[in-house]
Amino acid sequence: MDGAGVERAREALNLAHAMASIINSGLDRQTLSILIGLCEHGVNPEALATVVKELRREAAAIESTSKSKD
Amino acid sequence: MEGDVVADLVKQLVKRILPSQANVSEKSSSNGDHRDTVGERAYQYAMRIIGSRIAPSLASDEVAMAEAIKRQLVLEGRSSDALTFADLHRRFASLSGPGSVENRWAVLYLLRAVSEDQRREGVETRGTATPFTSTLSGPAALGGLQALPKSAEHPKLQVPHSDSPSPSPSPKNSLRNGGIRPSKSQSASSDHGHQGGVLILSKDADNVKSVAIREFVEISQVDLEVTEAALVRDVVYACQGIDGRYVKFDKEQDGYVVDSNVKVPKATRVLVRRLCEVGWLFRRVRNHISESLEDGPLEAIGTVGQAFCAALQEELGDYYRLMAVLETQVYHPIPFMSGGVANNGGNYLSLRRLSVWLAEPLTRMRLMAVLVDDCKTLRGGAMAGAIHMHLQHGDPLVRSFLKRLMRRVCAPIYEMIRRWVLEGEVDDLYGEFFVVAQPVKAEALWRQGYQLQTSMLPSFIPEPLAKRILRTGKSINFLRVCCEDQGWARAAAAAVATVRASANGGGGLGYGETEALESLVVEAAGRIDRHLIQIVYNRYKFRDQCLAIKRYLLLGQGDFIQYLMDLVGPELSLPANTLSAFKLSGTLESAIRASNAQYDDSDILDRLRVKMMPHSDGDRGWDVFSLQYDARDPLTTVFTEDVMARYLRIFNFLWRLKRVEHALSATWQTMKPNCLVARLSAIKGDGVKSELTVVLRRCQTLRNEMNHFVTNLQYYIMFEVLEFSWANFLEEMEVAHDLDELIAAHEKYLGSIVEKALLGERSQLLCKTLFSLFDLILRFRGLADRLFENAREMDARSQNPTKQRAKKDFHIATLSGRKSSMSSLSGDFLATIGEEMDGVAVEYSSLLEGFIAQLPAQQHVDLKFLSFRLDFSEFYTRQHMSMSTTPLKFKRTPLKL
Repeated sequence: MDGAGVERAREALNLAHAMASIINSGLDRQTLSILIGLCEHGVNPEALATVVKELRREAAAIESTSKSKD
Repeated sequence: MEGDVVADLVKQLVKRILPSQANVSEKSSSNGDHRDTVGERAYQYAMRIIGSRIAPSLASDEVAMAEAIKRQLVLEGRSSDALTFADLHRRFASLSGPGSVENRWAVLYLLRAVSEDQRREGVETRGTATPFTSTLSGPAALGGLQALPKSAEHPKLQVPHSDSPSPSPSPKNSLRNGGIRPSKSQSASSDHGHQGGVLILSKDADNVKSVAIREFVEISQVDLEVTEAALVRDVVYACQGIDGRYVKFDKEQDGYVVDSNVKVPKATRVLVRRLCEVGWLFRRVRNHISESLEDGPLEAIGTVGQAFCAALQEELGDYYRLMAVLETQVYHPIPFMSGGVANNGGNYLSLRRLSVWLAEPLTRMRLMAVLVDDCKTLRGGAMAGAIHMHLQHGDPLVRSFLKRLMRRVCAPIYEMIRRWVLEGEVDDLYGEFFVVAQPVKAEALWRQGYQLQTSMLPSFIPEPLAKRILRTGKSINFLRVCCEDQGWARAAAAAVATVRASANGGGGLGYGETEALESLVVEAAGRIDRHLIQIVYNRYKFRDQCLAIKRYLLLGQGDFIQYLMDLVGPELSLPANTLSAFKLSGTLESAIRASNAQYDDSDILDRLRVKMMPHSDGDRGWDVFSLQYDARDPLTTVFTEDVMARYLRIFNFLWRLKRVEHALSATWQTMKPNCLVARLSAIKGDGVKSELTVVLRRCQTLRNEMNHFVTNLQYYIMFEVLEFSWANFLEEMEVAHDLDELIAAHEKYLGSIVEKALLGERSQLLCKTLFSLFDLILRFRGLADRLFENAREMDARSQNPTKQRAKKDFHIATLSGRKSSMSSLSGDFLATIGEEMDGVAVEYSSLLEGFIAQLPAQQHVDLKFLSFRLDFSEFYTRQHMSMSTTPLKFKRTPLKL
C-alpha cells in the first residue's frame, strides 16, 4: 500500500470514528478499524452488529460477576 | 484466505471488546480457565453469527441510511450534530481510491445498528423517561454496559452458557451467571451502579420508580406476546393474500383474523380484522383472475373477460407496488412531533397508520370485488354494460378508476365494432358481439343474415347507433356477397380518413369516446350506404325493375294487356288442366311483340313469365293464369317471395277487373245500336218483338249500370291507387339513403296498393262482395250473349224471306207454320231470359248497394273518392233509403209488364 493509500485509509478511519462518536455507538478507533476491515471483507453488517452487541453483553456479564464476587 | 483474515479480525475484535478478562485472570488464577473458555467461546459464537444468514432487511442504500441516521439525530434534538454528521459523511463518501472504504453502506449500517443497540440498552437501563444523552461516549461505555438482552426477541442469539437454564420467557433470566440469581430490584440497582461510571444515580428512590416502570412495560409486553410491528407486518402480508405468523385466514369466519392462541387486546383484534378486509377482497379478485385465465376454457370468458382480467391484474400490480412501499416503511422509525422517538423500536407503521394507508386501496379493492361478483356470469357486451352501470357513481375516485378499467375492457368490443363497420367481418369467436351472423342464403342475407343481439349490447351504445352499426356491416356484406362488389373498401377507407382528419389525429376508438365512435360509424355508414344505393340503382337498375313490375304485373302497359287479353282470352275459357304453359308463353311473346312492350329492355322482358297457379278440378284458365316477374339475385332482397306473392294477388285482382271490363266492352260491341236492333224494334205490332225490345232495353240499362261501376272502379284503381302510390314511391326512392329505407319505401308502396285496392285484411268482406259482383257481371255477359244470339237468329229468320229468296223453294212450304212456331218459341225464350235478367239485376243492385254501403266503413281516406265517384248523384243512396220502405222487386217490376 502506497503512502497516499495509507493516508486515505487513515482519514477514512478518522471520519468514521467521528461519525461513530457523534451517534454514540460507543466504538473506539481500534475496534472501529477492525469492524471496517470486516465490512470490507464482505461480512454482513447486521451480523457484525449482533456480534458487537453480544460481546459487549458478555463483557458486562463477566464484569458484573467479578464485581459481585468482590 | 479470506476466511482467515476474517477470523483474525474477529479474534482481535473479541480481544478488544473483552479486555477486562485480562484483569480478571490476573486477579485470580482460578478464573484463567474461565477466561480462556469465555474468550474462545465468544470467538466461536461470533464466527457462528457472522456465518449465519442474518441479513439486513433493507436494500443497501447508503444515502438512505445516512438520511435515517441524520433524521434520528434531528429527532433527538441534536441538529448541530446532525449537520456535523452530514459533513463527515460527505467527506467520508468523497474518499475514493485505494485505502478508502468501499462498503460504506455496510459501515454506516453497522454504526447505526450498534448505536441503536447502545441507546436501547441505555433507555432500558435508565427508564423510559430518561432522555438520551451524549454522555455515553465510546470508551466510557465500553466496559460498563449492562447485559440486559431482549431475550424474548432473540432467543436464538443467546450465549450458550454451560450453566444457563432453558430460555425462559422473562428477560430477567438473562441475568444469570454462576447460578447467582439476585432479586429483581437488587440486580437492577446493582446494574445501575456500574452504568458507565458517569450516570451513577444517587437517588435510590427515583431509581426504584424507573425500574418499576420498566418492569411494567416489560410485563405488558410479555402479556401481549406480539409486538405491534409484528402485527403490522402480518397485516401487510395478509393484504397480499399471504398468511402471516399471527394473522391467518380463517375459513370459518371467512376472513383474516389474529390467531386465537395469540393474546392481543380485543380492539387490536377488531382493527386487524378490519384492515384485513383488503386481503379478503384481494383474494377474491385474485382467485377470479386465476380461475378465468388459467383454469377455465377461453370460450367461457371470451376476449372481453380476458381484457377485464388483464385490467384487474394491472390494478393489482399497482396494489402490489403500494404494498412493497408499505413493507419497507415497516422498518422506518416513527417520528414524533415531540421530537422524541418511539420506545421499544416503534416503527413508522402502526396499525392505525396502516388503516389510513389502506383506506384508498380498500375502496378500490372493494369495487373490484363487486365487479368480479357482478361479472362472474356475464360475458362480452353484457359484461361491459354491467361495468358501465357501476360507472354511474358520484365519487370521482370510483369514476376515474372505473373509466380506466372500462377503457381496457372495452377495447375488444371497439375493435369488433371497427372491423365490422369497416370490413364487414364478425370478429367474434366467443359470441360476445352484439351483431350475430346467421348462415343464410344470399337472398336472405340482408333480412335475416345478421341480427342485433340485445343482451350483448352494452348500455353505453345507444340503440339507434347499434342499428346503424349493424346496417353498415350488413351493407358491406351485402355488397361483397350479393353484388360481388369491391368498391366498399374504398368507401370505408375514405370514411376512416375523414374521421381521422376531423378528430385531430386522435382516431383511436375507446371507451368514453362515444362521439368518436358515432362519427366514425356515421361517416362509414353514410359512404357505404351511398355506395350500395348507387350499385342498386345503377348496376341493378332498381328503378327500371320497379317500373317493369308496375307495367306488366300491375297492368300499367295498357296496349300490352289489351293484346294479351285478346290473345289469351279464348284459351283461358278452357278448363285449367288442358292449358299448356308453353303455349301461353308463346301467346305472351306474341302479345309483347304486338304491343309497345317490344321496345322495352330485352333483359326486363326476359324476366317476364307466365305462371300457372296450382289448380283444382273445375278451375277455368282464368283462375290459374298469372304473370310473373323474376327479379333475380341481389334485388330479391327487396322483391322477396312474400313481396312477389303480394304482387301476384294484386295482379290477379287487376286481371279479373280487366277481364270484367273486357267482357263488358265485348257485350257493348254486340249491344251497341246497330241495324239489327233497329230492324227488330222497327217491326211493330208483334207481341214477341215488343217483348224483345223491352228485354233488350233492360239489358242495355243493366249493362250501362255495370259499366259505370266497372269503369269507375278501374279508374280508381289505376289512377287513385297505382299512380298515386307510384308517385310517392318515386319520391321516397329519391331520398332513400340506404337499403333499409329503400326496402321500407317499397313496402309502403306495396302496402298502400294492397290496402287501397281493397285487398287488405280489413276489406276482405268488401273484396268478396266485389268478386261476386264480378261474377254477376260475367253471368250477365253470358245472358246478353245468348239474348243477342237469339235476336240475331230471329232477325236472320225474319230476313230470310226477303233477303234469301233463292232458298224459297226450301222454306216456302213451312213459312207460315214456322213463323208462328218461331214467335212462340222466342216468346218462351224471351220470358226465361227476361226472368234471369231480372234475377241478375236484383242481385246486382242489392250487392252493389251493399258494396257502396260498406265503403264508408273502410278507414282509408282514398276510398271516399271511390264511393263518391260510384254514387255521384246519390242515386244509390236514395235508392237505399227508399228500399227500406219499398221492396226492390216491386220497384223493378213495372218494366216487366
